[in-house]
Amino acid sequence: MLKYVNTGIVFQEIPDEVTLAINISNCPCRCPGCHSHYLWEDIGLPLNPDALDAFVERFGNDITCIAFMGGDADPVGVNLLAEYLHVEYPQFKVAWYSGRLRIPSSVNKTDFNYIKIGPYIRHLGPLKSPTTNQRLYRQLPDGEFEDITSRFWRKVAL
Amino acid sequence: MEIKNFTITKRDGTKDRFSLDKIMNAITKAFESVEEPADLGTISKIISHLDMKDDIKVEDIQNQVEEALMREGFYKVAKSFILYRQEHTEDRETLEKMLFLSEYMESMNAATGSKYDANANVEHKNIATLIGELPKSNFIRLNRRLLTDRIKKMYGKQLADEYIDKLTHHFIYKNDETSLANYCASITMYPWLIGGTIAIGGNSTAPTNLKSFCGGFVNMVFMVSSMLSGACATPEFLMYMNYFLGKEYGQDYYKRANEQADLSLKKRTLDKIITDYFEQIVYTLNQPTGARNYQAVFWNIAYYDKYYFDSIFGEFYFPDGSKPDWEGLSWLQKRFMKWFNKERTKTLLTFPVETMALLVDENGECKDPEWGEFTAEMYSEGHSFFTYMSDNADSLSSCCRLRNEITDNGFSYTLGAGGVSTGSKSVLTINLNRCIQYAVNHQIDYLEYLGEIIDLCHKVQTAYNENLKELQDHGMLPLFDAGYININRQYLTIGINGLVEAAEFMGLKITPNDEYKAFVQGILGLIEKYNKQYRTKELMFNCEMIPAENVGVKHAKWDREDGYFVPRDCYNSYFYVVEDDSLSVIDKFKMHGAPYIEHLTGGSALHMNLEEHLSKQQYLQLLKVAAQEGCNYFTFNIPNTVCNKCGHIDKRYLHECPECHSKDVDYMTRIIGYLKRVSNFSQARQEEASRRYYAHA
Repeated sequence: MLKYVNTGIVFQEIPDEVTLAINISNCPCRCPGCHSHYLWEDIGLPLNPDALDAFVERFGNDITCIAFMGGDADPVGVNLLAEYLHVEYPQFKVAWYSGRLRIPSSVNKTDFNYIKIGPYIRHLGPLKSPTTNQRLYRQLPDGEFEDITSRFWRKVAL
Repeated sequence: MEIKNFTITKRDGTKDRFSLDKIMNAITKAFESVEEPADLGTISKIISHLDMKDDIKVEDIQNQVEEALMREGFYKVAKSFILYRQEHTEDRETLEKMLFLSEYMESMNAATGSKYDANANVEHKNIATLIGELPKSNFIRLNRRLLTDRIKKMYGKQLADEYIDKLTHHFIYKNDETSLANYCASITMYPWLIGGTIAIGGNSTAPTNLKSFCGGFVNMVFMVSSMLSGACATPEFLMYMNYFLGKEYGQDYYKRANEQADLSLKKRTLDKIITDYFEQIVYTLNQPTGARNYQAVFWNIAYYDKYYFDSIFGEFYFPDGSKPDWEGLSWLQKRFMKWFNKERTKTLLTFPVETMALLVDENGECKDPEWGEFTAEMYSEGHSFFTYMSDNADSLSSCCRLRNEITDNGFSYTLGAGGVSTGSKSVLTINLNRCIQYAVNHQIDYLEYLGEIIDLCHKVQTAYNENLKELQDHGMLPLFDAGYININRQYLTIGINGLVEAAEFMGLKITPNDEYKAFVQGILGLIEKYNKQYRTKELMFNCEMIPAENVGVKHAKWDREDGYFVPRDCYNSYFYVVEDDSLSVIDKFKMHGAPYIEHLTGGSALHMNLEEHLSKQQYLQLLKVAAQEGCNYFTFNIPNTVCNKCGHIDKRYLHECPECHSKDVDYMTRIIGYLKRVSNFSQARQEEASRRYYAHA
């Protein structure tokens, strides 16, 4: 069963969205140099449709996107929750931050508006680093996915 | 009198052993000074009148000596003794000032050196700022005397004593006691447009062209500001400038901004001419001016969307019979913002403090999407300004803090647009943390106790208003007489400070929860009740959460010294704890949302501190969040980085200069409502600034 430890309102993880990030525990990736060590253990509260209903109740239309941060131990579970969100709350975009190299075939990618894949590899750096191995994709209206990782790199002086 | 070993309390509070010789000496000297013979018997008789007790104060002994001399009929001697004391008091005051002078010279910056009202708007510490500091204590005394005399006349001595008691025990705080002028005003420039500055004591006639408008505007703002103790807002600045641009270059001038409009060798375009005027006005008004203790004037301007513009200036006519042109103004507002944002990467410019007024519909969407988008665009380009959002153009924020109801949107041929004329005559602040703790500790219902304090504040403010009227009756307030400020549209403001700290004392969690909300509503609702009760044709009250640039620090210090619960070194100016990192951006909008601010008629701005700039789409969404939550007044603060080595200014919050890679960097952020270099903040405010939480974006 998926569990989450905490949530946050974030702006950098998904460009142009105001995102509720749900930090999911029991992460199997165990990347060396991981910044979220606290998510390795199987701890926290159950992440199920009831929990999602409560988030929506709390944040209403203040957010534009809901992101599952992790959940690689149960990708089908994440997929089911994404589907639930799209059916019940079509106003929100749904994102998934996965640490895997690729999305398993059991997952229906089109249930996500954004997908980030790739483990954290220290010498290649995080998404902000132009040498990163991680990729963020955005689903286009035709169902294809566009690589928007470069959005993280144009951090020039304003 | 029985002579035994006991101690006396000296003026500086230290103890000393009682010495009969000293008293005898002083009395003998007084006799000698008026050449009256004094034998031991006479002096013993005088001393026998004295009632000594342990720890008696020097002043009390001297008072008793005076009385004893008179009781024995030595009136001439008594008079000499009194004069002698007076001389010494004056000497001591001079000594104190000299001590202050040397401490001020040694202090780290002007704000830290200021004893009475630290202010980061004073960038440099020099002879001019010192001259401004020295008479402050006299102003405080004079202001208290003027006010207590009036209170006595209106309400009796008991209330006057009560006021001083609550003031000296820090239950309440009188803002701007170091100045004699009324507080702040958003002015209508119409009287200037038709009559120049002559009516307020200047020598310039009405502006007739772009050049005389831009030059005269600066002088007019200087003159107005020198007669106020706080901010001066000119919400019509760009609208008038647009009018003069239209007169000079045609109403569609902005469509030809790239054409050459200058016969000089520089061949400047019209756009360049316009931005050169921006430069002249903004740089001049940011200069420290002698009239205000080497501070820049607290200059504020406003931008409007089309709906606000229509509502405020819909009935407006210029003296030539024409009406303001929205298309031109819309272009000029955008041009000014873009220019100002760019200019701030060259120089740290504090003023004007800008407020964008946007009207939103019931779904939280901007009614004028073009201006909603532009607002988001400017935030995403790193510009920092306030946004005021309302679903009804019945109120406006004229400066970086005060929000005011618009009582009259009409137009008059002598005063111009009614909606822009507003402000606050005087602010009297309640230290909620102390009041509530005092009540709880004494088993009094805290709302009942607060009721008494609030009532006192309203009476004191009413008395202040009488003094102001007297000044006006004697022709001392030309801004009012000339119509720049309408005295009946000015508020008497009840300030609050220490709200969050009081809630913490009550054991409440400072998050969006029902108990905290009820606490806030209970207190602010009570103040509003009194505001309404005391309202008359000439008295209007509002309630504001004051920025408390220096009193936030003072209250914390005083309350801690007196044994109250004080959870931080500087009381908050927000509904949340500024250093709390567990609240999300949305939580903060909620905590400055409708349920919390509904009774805060004088306003309070949410300062959304962020580590990084967001994208235009994200800011658009946050504008919507603000509208949905009913948070009508806010700004986003992302500290700008200033390199101390090479001077580079960067809009981002960085720890290293991107140009020269020096780590010796300073930041520009809002100390309260206005942007300043952190190193200009007072010592205590610098510490507070370092604890602020900037949300990871």
